[in-house]
Amino acid sequence: MAEVHVIGQIMGASGFSESSLFCKWGIHTGAAWKLLSGVREGQTQVDTPQIGEMAYWSHPIDLHFATKGLQGWPRLHFQVWSQDSFGRCQLAGYGFCHVPSSPGTHQLACPTWRPLGSWQEQLARAFVGGGPQLLHGDTIYSGADRYRLHTAAGGTVHLEISLLLRHFDRYGVEC
Amino acid sequence: MTTASPSVFLLMVNGQVESAQFPEYDDLYCKYCFVYGQDWAPTAGLEEGISQITSKSQDVRQALVWNFPIDVTFKSTNPYGWPQIVLSVYGPDVFGNDVVRGYGAVHVPFSPGRHKRTIPMFVPESTSKLQKFTSWFMGRRPEYTDPKVVAQGEGREDAETEIPRSTWVCLCPNPAWLMLPFCPQ
Repeated sequence: MAEVHVIGQIMGASGFSESSLFCKWGIHTGAAWKLLSGVREGQTQVDTPQIGEMAYWSHPIDLHFATKGLQGWPRLHFQVWSQDSFGRCQLAGYGFCHVPSSPGTHQLACPTWRPLGSWQEQLARAFVGGGPQLLHGDTIYSGADRYRLHTAAGGTVHLEISLLLRHFDRYGVEC
Repeated sequence: MTTASPSVFLLMVNGQVESAQFPEYDDLYCKYCFVYGQDWAPTAGLEEGISQITSKSQDVRQALVWNFPIDVTFKSTNPYGWPQIVLSVYGPDVFGNDVVRGYGAVHVPFSPGRHKRTIPMFVPESTSKLQKFTSWFMGRRPEYTDPKVVAQGEGREDAETEIPRSTWVCLCPNPAWLMLPFCPQ
């Protein structure tokens, strides 16, 4: 079986209009992939930037996969939420990016989006917060049924991911 | 780093904690330690250290320079649990107590060569305003009992701090950076 190590950090997020952000992240793979070590999902702490708009999490990611096929190459997906002083959480954006496929260290910037509702819902969101959310999280990383959504842009999630590949040459894959 | 059969590989890290920028604080010292997985073990060098106390330079740079050496070699059979260096910076508050000014963590670089890393630092903060005031007044800020928790991903959403009944909110001190040139081989 070929092995892939995904090691890195979710550095932080920038470009969001809200401060006090946290991120729920997860990784989705195809059926041929098996997670040998590491946790498949997690949640960062809440960060409130004091100066500048970038919220820093420095959340470590360390995953070890074994795979029999290239289909379903891992995808990292994110939900960025903001927390206000009362402890209520509001969605700031959804985003996903593929894990790179060449070994080495990569800087990734993942754009995010959030669903817009009707104008009444947008007005309510401006005053009391809330807003529509996805029922099924897999819409974040899959293209099916996206045509039903009307969304607005959120900020960007920044990651630094390093990739180590092993035994891919046994299967005729050059990397 | 890729081998055909499971065998031991070595990772040698030479470097220094070069300097920091903390616009609001002065007279700081830093501690470093390494966090690594079960398949890793240090074979040479020190995996922990405490630096000297440094004051800001009087010139326009306002730099806090430690130039604190890091020299450690790890051996492992598995890249999982790649070592992370955890840094904690401490300094005196207005009453003279030693309080934490920032925590940060970064993975040791993955490729041989010279690398310079600047890492953002954060402090845990209590959410209740009364608790913030009493902790400022008493000099007992929220602090991690074990700084190694900064290098872990699990439990960050509701981590405990030393002062009970406070939830965990992080703030980025303005802008606090640590510079770390690494020379791993």
